[in-house]
Amino acid sequence: MKIWSSEHVFGHPWDTVIKAAMRKYPNPMNPCVVGVDVIDRSLDNQGRLHSHRLLSTEWGLPSIVKAILGTSRTLTYIKEHSVVDPVEKKMELCSTNITLTNLVSVDERLVYTPHPENPEKTVLTQEAIITVKGVSLSSYLESLMANTISSNARKVCFCGKNSWALVLLNTMLKAQTCRIGPIVCTTFYF
Amino acid sequence: MNSVGEACTELKREYDQCFNRWFAEKFLKGENAGDPCVQLFKRYQLCVQKAIKEKDIPIEGLEFMGPRKGKAENSS
Repeated sequence: MKIWSSEHVFGHPWDTVIKAAMRKYPNPMNPCVVGVDVIDRSLDNQGRLHSHRLLSTEWGLPSIVKAILGTSRTLTYIKEHSVVDPVEKKMELCSTNITLTNLVSVDERLVYTPHPENPEKTVLTQEAIITVKGVSLSSYLESLMANTISSNARKVCFCGKNSWALVLLNTMLKAQTCRIGPIVCTTFYF
Repeated sequence: MNSVGEACTELKREYDQCFNRWFAEKFLKGENAGDPCVQLFKRYQLCVQKAIKEKDIPIEGLEFMGPRKGKAENSS
């Protein structure tokens, strides 16, 4: 098991970052996410918006890893739950994979809050727990994933003409699974 | 961005458009007098539920847990 955490500061106000975070797919920086669906969405009695989403991701596993894992399945699903509190100005997002759970589990938690000293900035704290199960290469794979998370967390780009189009590569499973297939995502640097 | 069900992509696009506008222009500004996209969401959701069932995606019965909510106890 590998626990990983990080903090990142965006040079944009909270509202701008949250709008971008809610619409971050499709994302040319992360082509592994091939589908996003809202399964459920509701306001609670404190005025917070809860969204449950299903992300479909396409893995880019090299054949050697496929052979080791014993699967040729490359489509996997991630469930994501986010809560946006517009009064407290806080967004919390948890995601976990719901397929291939016998091989790997990745639980990620992100929290976006305004910077305590500068309201024009936003702080993202990010943590993930990665567990690769029953595979002899597990510690190698876990390290690979944690390293990828670490580098992806700092990849921030502005695309398109709108300021809200701030894209953060932060949803772990897509990032690291793409990286397991180094062919797929590592070309998306800028 | 596509939907998990090919047939739902257009419904999803219509809903997303409605939601994104409401989210940015009303919700984040503290005006949450109700979600105007409910009908679009219902149509879209019916389609997605069908696709999830057909593809046998295990979304039901899964306890959703963030990293801080207990998995660390099962340390390997």
